[in-house]
Parts: sequence; structure tokens; C-alpha cells
Amino acid sequence: MNALGVGIGWRPEIAGFVAGLPGLRFTEVIAESLHHPDPELLALRDRGVTVIPHGLKLSLGGADPVETARVEHLARCAELMGSPLVSEHIAFVRAGGLQAGHLLPVPRSRESLDALTANIRRTQAELPVPLAVEPIATLFDWPDAEFGEGDFLTELLERTGALLLLDVANVYANAVNRAEDPIEVLRSFPLDRVAYVHVAGGIEHEGLYHDTHTHALPAEVLALVAEVTAPAFLLERDGDYPSADDLRTELDAIADAAALPRIT
Amino acid sequence: MGLAEDQEGLVRALVAGAPVPPGFDRVRVGAAARALVRKRAGEAARAWPALAIETEAFCVWAAARPTRGSWLDGWDFAREHRGSLPSEGLTALVLSETLWSYDGTGEPRRRRGLRFRRCPGGVVVGLGTRARIVPLV
Repeated sequence: MNALGVGIGWRPEIAGFVAGLPGLRFTEVIAESLHHPDPELLALRDRGVTVIPHGLKLSLGGADPVETARVEHLARCAELMGSPLVSEHIAFVRAGGLQAGHLLPVPRSRESLDALTANIRRTQAELPVPLAVEPIATLFDWPDAEFGEGDFLTELLERTGALLLLDVANVYANAVNRAEDPIEVLRSFPLDRVAYVHVAGGIEHEGLYHDTHTHALPAEVLALVAEVTAPAFLLERDGDYPSADDLRTELDAIADAAALPRIT
Repeated sequence: MGLAEDQEGLVRALVAGAPVPPGFDRVRVGAAARALVRKRAGEAARAWPALAIETEAFCVWAAARPTRGSWLDGWDFAREHRGSLPSEGLTALVLSETLWSYDGTGEPRRRRGLRFRRCPGGVVVGLGTRARIVPLV
């Protein structure tokens, strides 16, 4: 992906704020919300802002094959928005006919790696553009891991040729909750495959760090931004929206940490 | 057990009140289950603003009841708390019941024809795919 600098995830609640950012060159939109594209988002696209569809419900890490209709929708999103790539998660969201309601971690086993590989290849076969996959934040892990997180990811990207959507807030959350050093974890990731970077806030609750996307950006997450070289950094905010000034301050902090131009 | 069964076992523990599968940290999985149901409460509240859903009450109600999406979550919750809904919430429920036929199982189906239902302070009149509230003075 081209060097697009700092962006913010497009959400209907902050559409006006996003459209009013003078230096904005890219944004991301939830793919499942693009069945009825918002005119304000289409206006951004028409203005030349790069829009990346970001899927939540493909369940690439599920034991079952990805649903054809969901893959086709992701492909249509890329065509509609003229996107250079699309992204999804290394996660599963349903099993046995039950919806989990959020992204769940996959076991780091050979069997799981094979299932993910097959699903990513099935998806890539239908997409008109490259796919970037994002390792998630999780409050718990599966027992009996056969790989470390970095090795699992490296193997997966080598097998599939997929790009990495690196979420430094997820790296931070998992490292803190596993009592690991976030910078060491980050360095174990295949950073040469990074397409772009997610940045988000969270909060500690009952002794665990929750990657909520509805709280302020912690300094520790910003510190990880400074550790990564990437063409683009995107702030994800999904609710409890703060004032425009507070959002601008967070975007500026990301730009400064990444040594990129401010977009505000 | 294979991956499919393992994943199903974990999801059942998280959203259907099933026991946590062996080997997992029960405290952590419990924390994740609570985070999931809180997120679900927020989504149901956004889908049904008139219900003024109270998060804790929703979480208790939903903990062992897998979701079928925020629309039906809010609808099922409202139906089972019909007697204690605020009047705007009861009106929203009656409006939906006028538009759609849904008894808590299967998918809602559009109602047809002319029909009337009592709501707080008035009547909901449904005709075809539309419904409106008529106040009674």
C-alpha cells in the first residue's frame, strides 16, 4: 500500500469529523456496513480518499469453510470503493451454528493453521485485491499451543502470501495480559509484511487490559507506534466518541509518534 | 476431538452457559464471556433505544442465551419484560409486533392487511407494511 499517513476508521457517528480532516488520505470502513453505503462515505471516495473495507464476520479461523456470500461481499466492497486491499481478522466468530458476537482467538496448532490457510486461500481466490489479516486481542488463550504468536503468524503469511494488518493495541493488550514484553512480542512478528497499522484505546478492568476502542489511547500503545515503520496508521474508535478536539489530539499523537505529517 | 468441536465447545461456554472446556483459564474465559454479553447489551440498546435497556439486567437475562442478532435480542428481551417496560419501550414493541409476526422462534415475518393493537395512550394501526400510532384522547 502507498504511504497514506495517518487515518481514522470511518463510522457514521463521526462521519462529519472524518470528512472535515484537512489532511485525510485514507480511512477504513466495516465491510458488513457496506450493504447500504453511506453517501458521506462515497463522497470521501470520490474526493480521492483511499477507503479500505475491513471485515468482521468472515470467520477466517473457523473450522468450516468461509461462506461464499461473505467473501463475495468483501470482493464487491473492494470494487465499490476502488480499494487497494481489504482486511479481515485471524479469528473465528461462530461455531456449531452459534454466533460468538465478537472475534475469538484460534488455537495455535497445526490443525488450526491448516484451516486458516485454506480459508485465506479461498478468500484470496475471489478477491480482486490483496488481503491483509489482523491478529486480534484476546483475554484468554487456547491450551497446548504448538507455536508462539510470532511464529504462527510468520508461517501463516508465508503459506498464503497475505499481508499483515498490525494492530499495536492488540499486541499491547495480549502482552500485558500474558505478562510479556510488548516490544519483544512486536519484534517476533513478520514486520516486513505490514500493510498498515491499527491503533486504539482500551482500559484495565478487573486486572485485565480490555482493547475496547471506546477509551483513550494509552501512552504504552503510542510507544509501540514509534517502534514500527509502516505506510499507514489508522485510529480505531468504535463508541463513546470524545470531542473533536480529543480525537484530533489522538490523531496528532499518532502522527508525531510515527514521524508522519499531522492530518488535522 | 477436532477443531470444529473444540471451537463449538468454547463458543458454548462463552455464550450459552456451558462449562469451560478443559485446559482453559476459567477466570479469563469468564471475563471474556462478560465482555461479550456487555457488548451485546450495548448493541441491543442501540437497536432498541426506546427500551432504555439496563445493561446489568440485560446481561443476566442474556448470559446463557445465545444471540441471534441485536434486533431479536432486544425484541426477545422486551417481550419477556413487557410488564416493566417504559411506555416508549412498550410502544416500540407494539409497533414491531404490528409490523411483524414473531413469537420468539424462527424469523419475524411481515404481517399483512389491516390490524390494530393497544399501546400506551393509544392504538397502533397497521396497514400493509406500514404502521402508525394513533393517540386516544
